Amino acid sequence: MKKRPTSRFAPLIVGALSVAALLGAWELAGLQGSMLASVLPPPSQFLRSIAQSNFRIGLGSQAATVTQSLLATFLRVFAGMGIAFVAAIFTGALLSVSRFATWSLSPILQLLAPIAPIAWIPTAIVVFGINDFTAIFIVFMGVYFILTLATLAEIRRIPPEFQTVAGNLGANTLQRWIWVTLPAILPGVFLLLRTNFIAAWMAVLVAEMVGLRDGLGAIIMMGRNLFNNDLVMFGMVVIGITGFVVDRVLQLIGQRVLWWRV
Amino acid sequence: MLMKTDPVTAFRIEQLTVDYDTNDGGPLRDFSLSIRQGEITCLLGPSGCGKTTLLKALGGFVIGRDSGGVLFEGRYLNGPTPNIVMIFQENNLFPWLTVRGNVAFGVKFKRGNGPSDPAIDAMLQTVGLDEAADRYPHQLSGGMRQRTAIARALVSAPQVLLLDEPFSALDVSLRRRMHTLMLDLWEKTGKTMVMVTHNIEEALKVGHRVIVLGDSPARVLIDADTSSDAMNDRYSSEFLQLQQRIEDVIY
Repeated sequence: MKKRPTSRFAPLIVGALSVAALLGAWELAGLQGSMLASVLPPPSQFLRSIAQSNFRIGLGSQAATVTQSLLATFLRVFAGMGIAFVAAIFTGALLSVSRFATWSLSPILQLLAPIAPIAWIPTAIVVFGINDFTAIFIVFMGVYFILTLATLAEIRRIPPEFQTVAGNLGANTLQRWIWVTLPAILPGVFLLLRTNFIAAWMAVLVAEMVGLRDGLGAIIMMGRNLFNNDLVMFGMVVIGITGFVVDRVLQLIGQRVLWWRV
Repeated sequence: MLMKTDPVTAFRIEQLTVDYDTNDGGPLRDFSLSIRQGEITCLLGPSGCGKTTLLKALGGFVIGRDSGGVLFEGRYLNGPTPNIVMIFQENNLFPWLTVRGNVAFGVKFKRGNGPSDPAIDAMLQTVGLDEAADRYPHQLSGGMRQRTAIARALVSAPQVLLLDEPFSALDVSLRRRMHTLMLDLWEKTGKTMVMVTHNIEEALKVGHRVIVLGDSPARVLIDADTSSDAMNDRYSSEFLQLQQRIEDVIY
């Protein structure tokens, strides 16, 4: 039987309906006054509760708006990922051009890579204190090693003809790096950065739970300390939605800006 | 095909010895040959006989060991030079650049005397890509990609073009159009070109000289002047006899 062509909007419509069905079921369970409503307060309940506090979360002068918390988390996660992205490309480049660097750095990278970013939290607090640097450092440790290995793999995948062509046209070693190697590896490394965004996102939330005043992780921690399930649920929903949106934005950047494959 | 006049030597290969451990291509041992300036020389031979190795040596990408080597303009080549540009079967173009970007790629590395925008436009027109200048490599046909690579090579004004099976991935009609383009470009520029190919007819049609290599390490089995008018006619007895002779040697 001939397959009927599907509309390009079909996945979007089905996805939206699926989310709407989940929200509807959630609301329904909450309205009937079940036990579930106190553990998992429905959106209408926790949104009303947060709106009553003018979307300010926290006590007294320590209170921060939801926007401030969101921006604080974004700053930490993007700073950590950005620094890791640049550092990984430099390290990968160094490893690709120097055998001595490979011999000396590879064992260190392989020793540190399996350590979960959360395990660095106590050390980070001792070194940086409880501030933005701790969260940025945790994100960095969560993605740096995997990106370094990805950079190295991408460099090794570059067709040798590219370097020959560039050399033939008068490019020196540095120019070949800037005009050939870098553009050739960027899409692949960025793709891995995107797939590791979830890991970075989780790392920053955990880091924020260790005592930072603001940030999405801090919202959940505050809700737990105050036995406020509305706050916990609100934090979880915001984390879910923003994580989804950021992932889509990164996907769009990958498709529109770094679209080529070598 | 234009007749060549008073050819002088572009390359002198003297007792060149290249051993490969891991690279593709066959080895060369005490191999000697001269390549004339302003000619299209085609290298034929079975796989692994050393054609590509020889081409890489002419480009300075592999260096001979011991006392032998490749002399270009009277000096031993000790590495690639912008005067000798190589075009490959594939992976010639940078996928993140448009046709124009690829053709102009070398401009930023030239100090002061690189090709100007009008020169790039003129080259795009010469190879028939002026209307495709803003397209990316994945939006081009195989022939258009190879024309882009040729345009980029020519715009950098090299003295020699080395072509490693440049048309082998193209279909027959496209390949014939590329032969015509190549001969047109040669007539306009008079560049020395050395092309490795597996296609006997292609070599006889395009080349002024056809060299058939055999065995490994390589040795010259046939060295034929194919610049006469009779070689333009693929049904002439001269063409057919040489084609048969080459087939007998290779197969």
